[in-house]
Amino acid sequence: MSSGRDDFTIAIRSALLQRGARQKFSLLFLFCFSLIIFFLDIYKVTGIKTLRNIINDGVYRISNLATSPFRLLENTSVGTKKLIFIYQENIKLRKELEELQNKDLQVEFLQNQNKNLKKTLETDTSTERNSIIARVLLDKSSPYLKSIIVNRGSSSGILKGMPVLDGSYLVGKIVEVNYLSSRVLLLNDLNSRIPVTFGTDATQAILTGTGTKKPKLEYLPEQFVALEGQKVFTSGKDGIFLPGIPVGLTENNFDETVIKLYSDPNQLSFVNIEIIKSQEEVF
Amino acid sequence: MNAINKNFRLVIANLGPLILLYYLSISEIDTEFSNMFEILSFNIQIIIIYYWMLRDASIIGSGHVFLAGIINDVVTGLPLGLSAISYLTVSLVANYIKNVTVNFSLFTDWFTFLIAIFFSNVVFLTLMLNFSNFTVIYSDIFYNAFFTFLFFPFFWFIFNLYKNLMRIRNDD
Repeated sequence: MSSGRDDFTIAIRSALLQRGARQKFSLLFLFCFSLIIFFLDIYKVTGIKTLRNIINDGVYRISNLATSPFRLLENTSVGTKKLIFIYQENIKLRKELEELQNKDLQVEFLQNQNKNLKKTLETDTSTERNSIIARVLLDKSSPYLKSIIVNRGSSSGILKGMPVLDGSYLVGKIVEVNYLSSRVLLLNDLNSRIPVTFGTDATQAILTGTGTKKPKLEYLPEQFVALEGQKVFTSGKDGIFLPGIPVGLTENNFDETVIKLYSDPNQLSFVNIEIIKSQEEVF
Repeated sequence: MNAINKNFRLVIANLGPLILLYYLSISEIDTEFSNMFEILSFNIQIIIIYYWMLRDASIIGSGHVFLAGIINDVVTGLPLGLSAISYLTVSLVANYIKNVTVNFSLFTDWFTFLIAIFFSNVVFLTLMLNFSNFTVIYSDIFYNAFFTFLFFPFFWFIFNLYKNLMRIRNDD
């Protein structure tokens, strides 16, 4: 028994301390070093954040470069597929354009009416909106985090929490800002929470990521059953996001309401980052 | 000239697994196939580390394992050092198994790989859940570990083939 324990100790000690032909560091040293780095990063020790930002920017650029041949292949394949269906798509788009032009007139009327009503209430807060286009550098999936890296950082005025759109549809928000790049937490990530509203009664809910393609709605009124196909928008209740950004359509999945997102989070190449500077309007 | 060429080819062949490890860590080529099959995801890095640490530790040094882990953390957005610790745990189990085992076969490697995956995930989850704000889906972690274990024999054959090719080149 004692001999068995000795053998185990010897084998473990050897595994931890052994250094071979190309082993410049022992495993024990590297374990300790990794733990130190981990805790420094977790507790955001001064200096580490800047160092991490520099490392992030560098690694993201190299990673983007390393993946470019595969991305080129993927783009070529997608491009060819699009080219085949271009005629049908053109007919469909013409129809949609006609419908949208009609709706545009109604929207203009409603916008003016809304503005006048807000003036009457004297509670209007104007928001200076400005959006910048960012290219997706990386969209590596992981079981732990659904996120993408974009090529805009603090140098372009990006701040944590800013909404990120694919066209006019919400896809996520900024959660990490480096000097030249940022990380966007996608709506389907488990850690994502966005206040939303939907339906004619303007029902309020929280859009919660589930790790799958379809996030779900939480904190709905009791016994509430959502109708299928209702359009979901951001409510702006968090004071960060602007109200009215389209998110997706409601779907009933057993006893919960899920959202079919307008934009597929796995197919992003370019995104718009909304740079919002909110200010009180003075009358 | 021939000797130089041969040496160069040998160096490149020896660097193969290391290049693959770094490439998988740094590139966005991932092994999560949720688009095709919702639960399918596996971790090739762990398989590479375990196999080469067990067979020929001089091919993949612990320093490189550590660095690949750090790069993986940066790319996937995890706290710095978390993947490194997880990968080093796999290295530790492989080193231990190498010290206590005489004969290697697919089945001993496959069985002991389960221990490596188990400890690697225990360390990973313990640190992640206790010290970071990340929320995880346990079923996803389980499926990832399960498929990593399931695909091990496939990569074992490929790496074995590669190792034999390297040996043939060495003997030339």
